[in-house]
Amino acid sequence: MTTSPRWRSVLTLIQLNGLVPIRAQPLYLVNLLASPLSFLFFITIASQGRLLNYGVAGGMILTMLSVGTGLQSDLTHYRHDLKFQDVIVASPVTAPVYLIGMALSEFVYSLPGMAVFLGLWVTMGWANPASAVVLFGALVLVWAFASTLGFTLATYFEDVRETFMFSPLISLGLSVLPPVYYPLAALPGWAQVVARFSPTTYAAELVQSAVGLAPLDATTQLFAWLALFGFTGGLLALSAVRARWREP
Amino acid sequence: MPTAAIVARQLRRVYPRAPPGVAAIDSLDLEVPSGGVYGLIGRNGAGKTTFVRIAATQLKPTSGTLEVLGTDAVRTPERVRPRIACVPQESRPLYFLTVEQAARFNLQLRGFDRRESRRRTTEVLEELSLADVRHRSISRLSGGQRRRVMVAMILATDAELLFLDEPTTGLDPLARREVWAALRRVRREARTILLTTHYLDEAESLSDRLALIEKGRVILEGTPAELRRRVAYPFRVTLRGGFAREELDSFGRVSSVEDGFLVFAQEPAARELARLALERGVQVALGPADLEDIFLEVVGRPIDAEENAPDDGERP
Ligand SMILES: Nc1ncnc2c1ncn2[C@@H]1O[C@H](COP(=O)(O)OP(=O)(O)OP(=O)(O)O)[C@@H](O)[C@H]1O
Ligand SMILES: [Mg+2]
Repeated sequence: MTTSPRWRSVLTLIQLNGLVPIRAQPLYLVNLLASPLSFLFFITIASQGRLLNYGVAGGMILTMLSVGTGLQSDLTHYRHDLKFQDVIVASPVTAPVYLIGMALSEFVYSLPGMAVFLGLWVTMGWANPASAVVLFGALVLVWAFASTLGFTLATYFEDVRETFMFSPLISLGLSVLPPVYYPLAALPGWAQVVARFSPTTYAAELVQSAVGLAPLDATTQLFAWLALFGFTGGLLALSAVRARWREP
Repeated sequence: MPTAAIVARQLRRVYPRAPPGVAAIDSLDLEVPSGGVYGLIGRNGAGKTTFVRIAATQLKPTSGTLEVLGTDAVRTPERVRPRIACVPQESRPLYFLTVEQAARFNLQLRGFDRRESRRRTTEVLEELSLADVRHRSISRLSGGQRRRVMVAMILATDAELLFLDEPTTGLDPLARREVWAALRRVRREARTILLTTHYLDEAESLSDRLALIEKGRVILEGTPAELRRRVAYPFRVTLRGGFAREELDSFGRVSSVEDGFLVFAQEPAARELARLALERGVQVALGPADLEDIFLEVVGRPIDAEENAPDDGERP
C-alpha cells in the first residue's frame, strides 16, 4: 500500500500527539472522561433524573467542544514553549494537514467519553439509523468548528496561561449559554436570540430532535443544518485568512 | 544549482509595538550562495533570528524582497517550505516522545515512509552519539542532549536548505564537534546551511562565508579570511608586562588585560612590537586576529561609544 505524503503526515500527527502520549500516560483518558461525565452527573442529580436524556445528548457535544479547547492549549504550548509550529511551518506539512492531524489526535482522547455516551445512547433506546446519521453529522461539524477555533486562537496566544483564561469563556459561550443541556425553549426570549449565534445551538437542536426530545419541523431542521455548516465553513474560511501560520 | 540559496534585498522588519523608527532588521541586503555553510554572527538583539525566521517563511517581512531557492518566499512561501528545514532558536523536541520517535516522526511527517525514516533515524542518532539514549524519553534528557535531538531531527531530513539558529548553544565541547562533523557531512551533500552562533571559533571553522549583523544590518560580509583582511588591525600581540601603556599607543589599538596588554596592529607594527618585546625579555605572543577580535573591534567600539552617544542607528 502506498500512502500519500499528506495522509502519512496526518497519521503521524495522530500517533505523535494522541497514541504515543496516551500509551505513556493512560490517565489522560480518565481525565477527559471526568469532565463531561461529572457534568452529566450534576445535571441528573439536580434535575432528579428528569434531564438525564438532555445530559446525554449534550454531553457528546460538550465532549467535541473539549477536543477544541484541548487542542487550543496543546498547540499554544507547543508553538510557544517548544517552537514546534516554526518547525512545522518550515517543512512540507501545510496548515490544513497540521490542523486535521492534530484535531484527530486530540479526538483520540475523547474516545472513552464518547464510548460511555454511546452506551447511554443505546440504553436510552435512541439507536436507529436516522438518529445515528444526525448525531454523526452534528458531532463531526462541532468537532471541526471547535478544532478550527482552537487552532486559530492558538496561533495568536502569547502564553499558555492566556488559553486557561480563554477556555472557560469559550465553554461558557458555546456550551453553557446555548441550550446544549436543555431545550432552547427553556431560555428567555432574548437569550434564545443570543443562542442563535452559537453553532452548538443548532447541533443540540438537531440531536435533541433526532432522538425525539424536542422534535423540529423539516424547515427548521434544514435551517439548523445550514447554520451549522455555515458556522463551520465560515470559521474555516476565516482561519485560512487569519490564522497566524506565518507570523504577520 | 547556480542560483543563490537566499537573496534578500532591502529587507526590513518592524515588530508590532516596537518603539517608533526601530526596526529589528533594516535595509538588509544579503546573498547566501548555494551549497556550503553560511554563518550569521552578531550581538544579542542584532536581528539574526528575525532574519532566519523571515527566510524560513515563519515571519513576514515588513518590506523588501526575498528569494529562497529561486522562489519568491514572501509571496509564495508554500513553494519554498517543502525544500527547507529549521531548528528554531530555543526549540525543543516534544518531551513525551523518545529520542528515536522524535527523529523518526519528524521524517514521517515530512513524507518519508517508515523504512526510510527508520534508516535515517538510526544513522543520525549514531552520528550525533544519541544511539545510547534512543529509547529514552526526551523529558529525561539533559538540556544539551535535547538540543542535539533537535539538530538530529533536522539533519536527518533531505531539505536543500537548513536553518540552524544557535544549534550548539549549551553543548559540551565534544558534542559541539560532533555537530560540526555532521554539518560538514551535510555540506558535502551540496546542501546549504544557514547557521547562527555566538561561538566565533565555530563560525570561523565551519562557515564558508560569514555575515556580521549589527542593528539589523550587515556590516561585514565575506569569507573568514576576507573578514580578517577587512579590519584595520588584523594582528594581535599579547604582552606580559614590560611596557607602559603610553609606549604602546603608537603601534595600534591597546587594551589592558590581566597582567599585561593586548595590542591590535597592522603586520609591520605587530612584528616591530614583538621584536622590541623579545629584546626586553618580555613574554610575547603574536598571531592573526581571530573572529572574536574582529567582532570586538567592529562591534565592541560602538558599545563603549553608546554609553554617552544617543542611539542613532548609524554604524560604519
Ligand atoms: N517577537 C518580538 N516582538 C517584538 N520585538 C522583537 C521580537 N523578537 C525580537 N524582537 C526585537 O528585535 C530585535 C532583534 O531580535 P532577534 O531575536 O532577531 O536578535 P538576535 O540577533 O537573534 O539575538 P540573540 O543573539 O539574542 O538571539 C531585538 O531588538 C528584539 O528586541
Ligand atoms: Mg536569536
